[in-house]
Amino acid sequence: MTALTGPAVAPRKTTRTREPGTLQQMWTSRADYLYVLPAIVVMLVVIAYPIYYTIELSFFKTPPGLQLRDKIFVGTDNYTAILTSDVFWRVTLNTAIWTFASTLIAFVLGYGAALALHRDFAGRAVLRAILIIPWVISAVAASYIWKWMYHSDFGVIGAVLVQLGLTDRQPNFIDNVHTVLPSLIVVNIWREFPFAMIMVMAGLQTVPEQLLRAAKVDGASAWQRFWHVTFPHLRGVSTVTILLLAVANFNSFIIPWIMTGGGPSNASHIWITHIYELAFGRQRWGVAAAYSVLLFVILMVLGYFYVRALSGNESREQGA
Amino acid sequence: MRNYRLSRALAHGAAVSALVVSMNTAAIGQSVDISQWSPEYVRSIAGTEEYDTAEQCGAVTPLDHEGDLSFWYQGVFEGDPDLLRQYYRDFFEAFRATYPNINLQEQALTYNDLLDKFRTALLGNAGPMVVRLQILGGVEFASKGYLQELSPEDVGWSRDDFWPGAMKSVMWEGKTYGIPTNNETMAFIWNADIFERAGLDPETPPATWDDVVAYSKQIHDELGIAGYGLVARKNAGNTPYRFMPQLWGYGGGVFDEADPSPTYEEVRLDTPESIRALQASYDMYVKDQSVPVSALTNQQADNQPLFLAGQLAMMISHPSDYDVMLDLQAKATGADKDAAQVVIDNMRYGPIPTGPDGRRAVVFGGSNIHILNPEYVEGGEVDQDAAKALICFWTSPEWSLKMAYAGSNPGNLNGFKTSWMKERLDSIEFLDVTTSMLPYGVPFPTLPETPEIMNIIIPDMLQNALTGAMTVEEAAADAAQKVRDVTDGGGL
Amino acid sequence: MTATTETTVPRSRRRIDGWRWAGRIFLVLMLLYTAVPMVWMLLTSIKSGFAAMQFPPQWWPTQPTLASYQKLLDPQNSVGQDFLRFFWNSLFVSFCTTILAVVVAVPAAYAFSRFRFPGRKFLFFSVLLRNMFPAVIFLVPLFILMRVLGLVNTHGSLILTYLTFGLPLAIWLLKGFYDNIPIQLEQAARIDGATRFQAFLLIVTPLSVPGIIATAIYSFIGAWNEYIYAATFITKNDQLTLPVGIQRFFSENTTDFPGLMAASFMMSVPVVVLFLVLQKYFVRALTEGAVKH
Repeated sequence: MTALTGPAVAPRKTTRTREPGTLQQMWTSRADYLYVLPAIVVMLVVIAYPIYYTIELSFFKTPPGLQLRDKIFVGTDNYTAILTSDVFWRVTLNTAIWTFASTLIAFVLGYGAALALHRDFAGRAVLRAILIIPWVISAVAASYIWKWMYHSDFGVIGAVLVQLGLTDRQPNFIDNVHTVLPSLIVVNIWREFPFAMIMVMAGLQTVPEQLLRAAKVDGASAWQRFWHVTFPHLRGVSTVTILLLAVANFNSFIIPWIMTGGGPSNASHIWITHIYELAFGRQRWGVAAAYSVLLFVILMVLGYFYVRALSGNESREQGA
Repeated sequence: MRNYRLSRALAHGAAVSALVVSMNTAAIGQSVDISQWSPEYVRSIAGTEEYDTAEQCGAVTPLDHEGDLSFWYQGVFEGDPDLLRQYYRDFFEAFRATYPNINLQEQALTYNDLLDKFRTALLGNAGPMVVRLQILGGVEFASKGYLQELSPEDVGWSRDDFWPGAMKSVMWEGKTYGIPTNNETMAFIWNADIFERAGLDPETPPATWDDVVAYSKQIHDELGIAGYGLVARKNAGNTPYRFMPQLWGYGGGVFDEADPSPTYEEVRLDTPESIRALQASYDMYVKDQSVPVSALTNQQADNQPLFLAGQLAMMISHPSDYDVMLDLQAKATGADKDAAQVVIDNMRYGPIPTGPDGRRAVVFGGSNIHILNPEYVEGGEVDQDAAKALICFWTSPEWSLKMAYAGSNPGNLNGFKTSWMKERLDSIEFLDVTTSMLPYGVPFPTLPETPEIMNIIIPDMLQNALTGAMTVEEAAADAAQKVRDVTDGGGL
Repeated sequence: MTATTETTVPRSRRRIDGWRWAGRIFLVLMLLYTAVPMVWMLLTSIKSGFAAMQFPPQWWPTQPTLASYQKLLDPQNSVGQDFLRFFWNSLFVSFCTTILAVVVAVPAAYAFSRFRFPGRKFLFFSVLLRNMFPAVIFLVPLFILMRVLGLVNTHGSLILTYLTFGLPLAIWLLKGFYDNIPIQLEQAARIDGATRFQAFLLIVTPLSVPGIIATAIYSFIGAWNEYIYAATFITKNDQLTLPVGIQRFFSENTTDFPGLMAASFMMSVPVVVLFLVLQKYFVRALTEGAVKH
């Protein structure tokens, strides 16, 4: 943004001040809307209808003996049933652990990798490329690969542990209620950390050299340089990355569903997979819809922070 | 490849089949007499009649009928025997040759997918005109009003041409909504070589379920490999097919479905008998650790390679598994081939074990074929005559036999009288065992809630107990409560 | 974008070395974490059926075989026919999604960047909000919608849905890109007599090629790897895309792990190659588009 013309405003046919009403403004800039029209139409159609449909359905019950269109109105019964069931709270706990652990650890690992890759050395490009691959591979493929590695009878991870003498029996990763969620989280992190790495890498490009050099001249240690110069500078990127990761993790369906289907015994069910099972496995469309509405609400809250972080970026840059 | 202790089995079979038959108040089938069911009887009627399918079905729908027809069915894929896939191809060719002016569009789906996709399609009014569903599925859709009334008489057969249990599975509120295409019961398969090496008599299968637990333990202790192929996966049909025989054998059940005249009123999952059945699984998985650890996520497809590699001693499965093993062995290479051959040479079939008091039960499985109501069909119309032509063809004696050649039995009892049946009996020896089990078949409860009960609540119960998340009693009580909730129409 | 150079400062040498070694060890561990599963996938895919089921597992197969790959790629074989068809379907769907995504996102991002019209901010953020909603929730209503539009069992339903997945991030990336392109260029063109649209198309678009490439990559990879919607919207076998086809294939009957690993490998190759070749554009786009000074 230069001082020559001020903020970037495309020239208009006539210059108008803000006094005319919104409708007139909309009319004047109708050509502008054409640019965004395709995008908006697609989004509206593909989002608005389903949201309305889901909210409506959440107040009905769909017993197995009736067709969906003959559903029975039950008011808020579905919501009460959900909020008072044990399974829901256990699944909520699972979801919280899953999202929190995956996001945090993936972020830290990605951050560390970005830092470690920041200085140039032989083979850096190759290494970076290899580290990005898990993010690019299909989640379906990743699920199968890891499921095979974790296999309770033939898995290679267990075999290695036994051979190294760390355990005497093949450990049970995904058929055990206590270890299944951490095992799945490991897979999720495997897939997610490259994203954090790329974002931080991009951000590191923007850390001003002079500050770092000045700090070094002043005798600051590597850690101090990092903590006082690099880290604060990357705060914007970090926030956005963490939020994007959290949202993606919250919504990740493929890994838990394909690897364990929510089992054993509901130990690896997160909200998404539980909703899917309720809707498609058990035909409880009403309950699944109510569950989804709850999910919306949570996501709206997350969204508020997401948007604030992004517009924080926006306004910072616009105001400059 | 041997039959075993059939005479004993048959004595029981005759008694049970008498009970089964008593459910059907109509006169027993004119030419096939179920009450005499035995391998000898089956042999005696095989090859005694010839049928001309084109002629039979031509009487229902004229051979030059023009129309369009869409059809979904559970298809045959990579894991099915080549012979069966050949027959499926032959069927569609023959149908098209017989009815050249019917434009048939068929769609094969996998067992697990079929139910899901069918349900989704119905929600969007995008279903096929005719569908062949597993026996577990039909009631749900009949109760929702998706299916048209359809009975054997509509396509030129008589209801007495079909097993009473099979006819029961296509009825809802007194009306008939489909026709059985094939019915099968599973058998108990074991590896004689492993038995011998573990110190068991190679030719004697475990007689009772308690024996299964004991044999499994012995095999695991002696040889370090898995004994019984337990499966406990959720959302997969295999699990109930293998656990219910155990449950019924011990005298338990979900409701009273194993009784002669079930009413499905009383939930029986938390009775002492049912708990004993669950305890047996618990003993095998947790106490003796004699079954694959991955049983919780395994389905039968996961047991097959284990069995063939000699890593599993016993499993319950279809007659077709023998052919599957043959195919797998043919595709193996090098040292694997020899290992597989040893297993195949030592494969034995026997009847399902009994409970402690000699009660033997097996799931009465199979498929039924249905016609949908036009409003749920893609395109909004159903060509009734074309649909009947296809159904008549599939449920004819000739084709209901051929399409069930490897792993099942014709739904239409007259299929047992065809010359192909004779051929089959001559070439597939162990078939006698599985056909002899038919009278022991107990159909799943004919309630729309049954898919959820069988595919979710039962595996959940197994998983809860086997992972130790709940004790055996708690798991059974929890499952019983869930069944009550589901049938009362509530709960999460 | 130069790397920080290390000047030798004796006093803090040990500490620097400490961090550097820590960094190296960390990278090695990360490399193991990342690469071992992929190596194991490859090793399994060249084993024969039984060999994969040994315990303890064979590290290097005693009889390596490419049979799994041959089966997948052989058009004569029914397995190969199916696999190749799935591959083609995925290619088609991903390609169409990508083209459409670019065509829709580019003008929208440009408008959000340059123009001032009422509701601009609201629209922009609602487009981003879409990113947050889980796919699963919309499955049934979207299916009904596709039915109304007559798109069930067609690739069109997938393309339309995937379009909405990729749009938010694409628009956001591109908008950042456009924000960084100086307005003078367009103003100069307009002074020379070009219309607003011409200025956009002929001057600005070529400059935003890295951003467009990034959008294309992201859309392609997203569409290629997507599973849930493909599994729900498509029932006909010959329309299935790779992720669903593979899952159906190998989980229905005789779980064939070498085959599954071979298929997973083949499924990953296109996107990995695409990404490796074009990664620098992607990173550049993120740098300029997402990370603002």
